[in-house]
Amino acid sequence: MKRILSLVLAIAMLLGVASFASADELTNLNTYETQARELETWNIHYSQAAADLNVLCNLFDGLLTNDNHGNLKLNAAKSYETPDGGKTWIFTLNEGMTWFNKDGEVQADVKASDWATGLEWVLNYAKNDSYNVSMPAEMIAGANDYYEYTQALAESDPDAVKALTAEEGSKFAEMVGIATDDEAGTITYTLVDALPYFPSVATYNCLYPLSAEMIEEMGVDGYRDVTWEDMWYNGAYTVTYFENQNQKVLTKSPNYWNDANCKRFDTVTIKMVESASTAYQLFKQGELDHISLDQATLQGIYSGETDGEYKANLVESRPTKYSYQMHLVYNKNLEDGETPDANWNLAVANENFRKSWYYGLDLTNYFARTNAINPLSCQNFVYTGNGVAFTSDGKDYTQLVRDELGLQYDSEKYARVNADLAAEYKAKAIEELTAKGVTFPVTVDYYISGASDVAAQTAEVLKNIFSECLGDDYVTLKVNTYISSLANEVRKPRKASFFINGWGADFADPINFLGQETYNDPQAYYSNAYSNCNDNDDPDLVAAYQEFTDLVVAAKAITNDMDARYAAFAKAEACFLNHALVIPCSYEVSWELTKVNNYSKVYSMYGMQGYRYVDWETNSVPYTTEEMAALAEAYAAE
Amino acid sequence: MIKYILKRLLQSVIVVLLVVCIVFFLLRLMPSDYFFTEDELMKFTETQKYAKLERLGIMDMCPDCHGSGLVGEAACAKCVQNPQDAKGAGYVNRSILSQLGDFFGDLIQFRVFNNKGKEVKSEDPISLVSYLSARLNGQEPFGELKEGYFARPVFNLGKSIRLEKNQYVTDVIQKKMTVSMEIGLISLAISLVVGVVLGVAQARCKDRLLDHIGTGYTVLVNAVPHLVIYTIIMIAGASIFGLPMRYDATAPNPGLTKVLPIICLSIGSIAGYMLWTRRYMVDELNKDYIRLAKLKGLSDRKVMFRHVLKNAFVPLAQYLPYSILLTVGGSLLVETFFAVPGMGPELTKAISRYDLNLVQGIVLLYATMGILGVFLGDLLMTLIDPRIKLTGKEHVR
Repeated sequence: MKRILSLVLAIAMLLGVASFASADELTNLNTYETQARELETWNIHYSQAAADLNVLCNLFDGLLTNDNHGNLKLNAAKSYETPDGGKTWIFTLNEGMTWFNKDGEVQADVKASDWATGLEWVLNYAKNDSYNVSMPAEMIAGANDYYEYTQALAESDPDAVKALTAEEGSKFAEMVGIATDDEAGTITYTLVDALPYFPSVATYNCLYPLSAEMIEEMGVDGYRDVTWEDMWYNGAYTVTYFENQNQKVLTKSPNYWNDANCKRFDTVTIKMVESASTAYQLFKQGELDHISLDQATLQGIYSGETDGEYKANLVESRPTKYSYQMHLVYNKNLEDGETPDANWNLAVANENFRKSWYYGLDLTNYFARTNAINPLSCQNFVYTGNGVAFTSDGKDYTQLVRDELGLQYDSEKYARVNADLAAEYKAKAIEELTAKGVTFPVTVDYYISGASDVAAQTAEVLKNIFSECLGDDYVTLKVNTYISSLANEVRKPRKASFFINGWGADFADPINFLGQETYNDPQAYYSNAYSNCNDNDDPDLVAAYQEFTDLVVAAKAITNDMDARYAAFAKAEACFLNHALVIPCSYEVSWELTKVNNYSKVYSMYGMQGYRYVDWETNSVPYTTEEMAALAEAYAAE
Repeated sequence: MIKYILKRLLQSVIVVLLVVCIVFFLLRLMPSDYFFTEDELMKFTETQKYAKLERLGIMDMCPDCHGSGLVGEAACAKCVQNPQDAKGAGYVNRSILSQLGDFFGDLIQFRVFNNKGKEVKSEDPISLVSYLSARLNGQEPFGELKEGYFARPVFNLGKSIRLEKNQYVTDVIQKKMTVSMEIGLISLAISLVVGVVLGVAQARCKDRLLDHIGTGYTVLVNAVPHLVIYTIIMIAGASIFGLPMRYDATAPNPGLTKVLPIICLSIGSIAGYMLWTRRYMVDELNKDYIRLAKLKGLSDRKVMFRHVLKNAFVPLAQYLPYSILLTVGGSLLVETFFAVPGMGPELTKAISRYDLNLVQGIVLLYATMGILGVFLGDLLMTLIDPRIKLTGKEHVR
């Protein structure tokens, strides 16, 4: 009975939602980016930047994409399978796909061999300057060898490297684990190992197709420097106007192979604006269809002081793919960038010291900088991002981690904070560290951009949190500034005590997150570039890292049972967090005014599909808070 | 006079060369990590970084280990000598002087174009020296070209490495300066006409209401931060007059989208021209020859326009060529504020993103325009006021 009732309710909700969703949809979408996020290249293989890929994902179709729930969805491929448990993956293409120019004139058919041409381009040292090499080089058999082959050959004969192709009988075909059959429309990847998450890599640009005919027409240098005016497209939109720092207009491709099965806008105009407040003015003038609100504007509308008429339209955005952490630095230098900061290095290696932060820091006011209305929507208790991986019964992987930690989100309360526990750990830390010669308060160096007022205000909030939650007798947060490059001025000379940084996945597996933190692993980005954990020889710290690393390695080895794999990763992540080796901080959840149903958009928590303007539901007027809440409920019931 | 002009031109060339060299050295003395975005620093392997630096012409693949050395491992002798953290990575730094040589050597490039005038990118461009030496040796520099293809020399400043990745700097500058010049010249014309007319009116009505209003306007424009004025103009223009808030060449009436930027650009210049016209005219009005002219019975109108304005305009005229040429550079604030795709924000953006070639190109352009503007201003003054001499021993400026 309950099931029937809930089904009826869900149907009623969907019908209700459909009634206003389809009322008066936008045919032309006006969206925006701030000027600092202008696209820098039109070559999809030659970019690793979100600002580029957010546009380019609309112009080209890869094998797979994501749906609005984040599930993998067939795109250029009509099916995919693995005959051997994940070491070989066979993708079969749809028929009737074509390459066309910006005016939609068909130039050639899309063939299976275009994927080999695309991979050859990515792996060819002389063609792609090593952009996007790391994922295929690590995953596809022979890919790294081919990359190194082209690199060595480039020194003696760069023209010969540029002339290499993916044709049958070529060096590429001989060395790299990709086989294509244009007749059957199949692409077969052979991997270095069984990698169950490989299909999610097929949503990423390193495995995007490239037309050999186009290369022949414009040459290798011509494609590397390709512009929107002369490139060939195979995606949902073509570019019909572009003016750097002003705007770009994407127009529905007339010869798009999937026209019958997807909903597209006639045009999408991406306007470059100076700041969020300019975007707000444009929204008010009807020149934009959705905007994110900065704190001042949000508070003005919410309190009714300015533009109170929009209060009923305030909509909370969905979390982005980035999971923000406080990355502690285990081998830090003083301000000169050379002398080790012995006081901090000893303190941070102490688990009780770290746990006093873990349980003590109430970051609610910090979250309010992004989300002044519901700050606790931003709380984050885990390391891996939401929605990256799901168990066979549809449970989000991060839920497994929270189950291991015994922590669940509560919209009313910051569940991780426990002042008593924090005080207990603080007392223990003071006792143990005083014996080791640490002097209190410990100075905590935190760096922000000197040019950002917003960062300065946020840092001030953070400083107050440290003072109130941990006590001035224990730690002192010192806010410092850098001029233009955090990496060069702070991270490399190891001048910060911690960084707050967000990481977004490129493919759907927890290893993409946890693999960045393992001990003594040259591929672990955060261990080497941020925490410097390999350079602190405190035995307890090393043991904690080693325990975590062993668990990650064991989890990574499980490839035949995804539930078991995720459970093992969840244990590893819980171990990492129980030792407070990093301190989970926040998710990005802000507020917006929008004519777009956020729950209809591609919701990809990894990779580059999140900005595809396909299958969006819209309204001619901004959605109200209630309407969006109803859409959210209907979405949850789907 | 011709000798003077040639001398000034030669001096200008030397100054421009010096500026270019100084900027060239400064840009290349920065640590190499500044050439990467924070994103790239996060995702790139060491080899990827060196590959990019090699493409920028800052590093070379080591001739001994051919880029195969690994960071931290023992490397060949040449790599170890590398003063940067490329130690053992299979790459060596290139000397700045050889990079400078490449820059000047490639200033004139031969490129192949098809019969539609579009560059054939499959044919690598070659430098003037390589082209001439091939010709002198009786060879075809590009080999056998397809029918309809032809090679021609072009001025080359390299390619943008960040802002408009891999696009020729000359193309980027040409496209952007056209936009900036269009709104800049319109604004200059408006400012000149309105500013000078109002300045004359102020001078004629000295110490009367019109003069006070004009002075109030000048003080207001100079005292209130420009960003505040622009914001007020933008909001008022959009909400009261329904004018578009940003530049949009695709709008049904693109001219309308330029109105607010032009008003913002003009508002400050009008105040400037008003102030200086009034000041020079009041100075002239107090001179004896004006009193004499009035005593001789010349009408006020004739005195003002034939004598006072003509002489008062001389100092303003000196800056006119400079102002016209300066429109090439656009306005950082106005163009950023109204999303005008012009030159204004380009230099600061190029510097903040370490876009070497673009910075180099824009600095070259600005230096040339600045020097040329001052030079033409001096010449214009001599044309307007024959009493001014640029050569000779006496009464020389």
